[in-house]
Amino acid sequence: MSAPLASDERSTLSSVLDELLPPRDDGRLPGAGALGLADGVDTATRTSALRPALSAALASLAAHGFSTQSKSEKLARLQALAQDAPAVFQALLVHAYGAYYTHPRVVEALGLPPRPPFPKGYDVPATDFSLLDPVRRRAKLYREG
Amino acid sequence: MSEETVDVLIVGAGASGAAFAWSLADTHMNILCLEQGDWMDPNRYPSAGMDWDLRAHGDFALSPNDRKRPADYPVNDAGSPIKAAMFNAVGGSTITYAAHFPRFHPSDFKTRTFDGVGDDWPLDWARLEPYYALNERMMGVAGLAGDPAYPPKQLPLPPVPLGRLGETVARGFNRLGWHWWPSDSAIATQPYEGRAACLNLGPCLTGCAQGAKGSTDVTYWPAAVRRGVKLRTGCRVREILVRDDGMADGVVYYDADGVERRQRAEIVVLACNGIGTPRLLLNSRSKRFADGLANRSGLVGRNLMFHPYAMVIGVFEDRLDGTQGPTGCGLMSHEFYETDRSRGFLRGYSFELMRGVGPVTTALLGGQGGWLPWGAGHHAAFGAVFDHTAGLLAICEDLPELHNRVTLDPDLVDGHGIPAPRIEYRLGENSTRMLEHGAARAKQVLEAAGAKLVISEAPMRVAGWHLMGTARMGSHPDRSVVNDWGRCHDVRNLFIIDGSVFVTSGAVNPTNTIQALALHAAETLKKNLGELFD
Repeated sequence: MSAPLASDERSTLSSVLDELLPPRDDGRLPGAGALGLADGVDTATRTSALRPALSAALASLAAHGFSTQSKSEKLARLQALAQDAPAVFQALLVHAYGAYYTHPRVVEALGLPPRPPFPKGYDVPATDFSLLDPVRRRAKLYREG
Repeated sequence: MSEETVDVLIVGAGASGAAFAWSLADTHMNILCLEQGDWMDPNRYPSAGMDWDLRAHGDFALSPNDRKRPADYPVNDAGSPIKAAMFNAVGGSTITYAAHFPRFHPSDFKTRTFDGVGDDWPLDWARLEPYYALNERMMGVAGLAGDPAYPPKQLPLPPVPLGRLGETVARGFNRLGWHWWPSDSAIATQPYEGRAACLNLGPCLTGCAQGAKGSTDVTYWPAAVRRGVKLRTGCRVREILVRDDGMADGVVYYDADGVERRQRAEIVVLACNGIGTPRLLLNSRSKRFADGLANRSGLVGRNLMFHPYAMVIGVFEDRLDGTQGPTGCGLMSHEFYETDRSRGFLRGYSFELMRGVGPVTTALLGGQGGWLPWGAGHHAAFGAVFDHTAGLLAICEDLPELHNRVTLDPDLVDGHGIPAPRIEYRLGENSTRMLEHGAARAKQVLEAAGAKLVISEAPMRVAGWHLMGTARMGSHPDRSVVNDWGRCHDVRNLFIIDGSVFVTSGAVNPTNTIQALALHAAETLKKNLGELFD
């Protein structure tokens, strides 16, 4: 398992996450970085074979002052990363989605209860099977064996 | 080395091994099952955590190659457009199946007679029917009587609710005048035989934390163990041993500590699925059986059948509550099941409703499909799709073809150094035409139901759930591996009871048929016990 990211790499990761998954226009959610997901992504990627390459990519972005760059400069940097190191970028994106779409605030903002399915489950109304009336009127569809 | 010789040794504790063990237990014979996986702990299933959807892509991924649990073995499926999906544990792949639980049609056992393709089975639907009924009681199957696609049957539990999503799609079928019916589902819709009722958790494919889904660790196994069957976990069988007289003598296996052991038995029963069973037979070579055990016909590993799937997803204007309710059980359609030559292919396919997917899966599928951007525009694109989708799966009958096969990989091995299976498989012309037809008809249904956009994938890639045909049954030893109750033609005390024995594939999920065949095999064995080796 790799060591945790250095602090400048982690703060850069947080800025990157805000670009990948920015704040929602309706104001209900901040970006993924501001939501505090960098630590989770850091931990989740520590066992990945791509982790050294990811660390190097973040270090490079940090060296270019990614966190303080303009929106357009950040976009250009990330597009370049996606083109030059597609596997690293894809892994980063997958982990970002994984962390973001399992966060209770995000889940709630999607209109779901902010809890696991179990043990409460969900109420699904009983079906009115009069919907089947036209099917019930059909002749048999199978062939006798 | 174990000194004890058991009467019956079953390899594999999945769908068929469990049913067989339970049935045979009333003989009071000394029965042992070796299973390479372990008992699952339902408290640790993904649906009990916020990351339930994420873990479906990790430690509960469909493919063992992605999942890489200690109990898994790798499968070289680079030579197949359809990737193998299986699970290794007590319960086998019933731990992660959808529990869609239909029977075959009567015509499925006579495809040569009816349609001039495949081969007829050495038994017919009527012979299997009592075992279907018994199995449905044991597994706790929910459904509704009166389906015109089947001969009359009664199921012990009422059907799963369709929900908003299912009712929307059902109306699409009705607008076209096409058949649909609530799924036969191995799901306890009411408390049943000690199982709690379904809570509509959603992610059945990562195990049922409620225990409502009929996986054999909660159905057959507790009853079999109570009746005296011994089940030893963490034991991976390497090969079947053969005596000088050509009869099976037992197996060599690695126990949970990785120690090589030998287990002798009077009768050996393989229940390792359509890939694991030929793998084990092919790895059991000896002077007498140079091409693998029970392989005089040369058919061990051949005629591998999946069900090629077309996955068609419709995007709707309204939300559908799609993550609520059993993900793969809702409704099915057999409108295109029986042969109609005007369609351009023989045999047919069924449709199965697929409820919506979770947020993580939506995002990952969107990324793979290229319709979900990161950055600006992400949330709008995501919001238009998440919980706005309903899917139909066209499950196509796969015809047996010799070139579709399982062999031993010359290089790849599992954690114990046992050669891994290698799959060589290509879609036949009939399957290709059927997939195209199924995808087009599914699109019609979804549009009739109100979908604004329809996306499809055919064949669906990681959809090799149904593993069949690689040790087929038949009457003639030159053209089959086992007889009509799973007894190997070449080795009289060796039995095969999993999906390997299928002659043809039907066009529905096979678990009910696999288990009905296993119960039939056990019952026939019991009837013949007195003169089994005369």
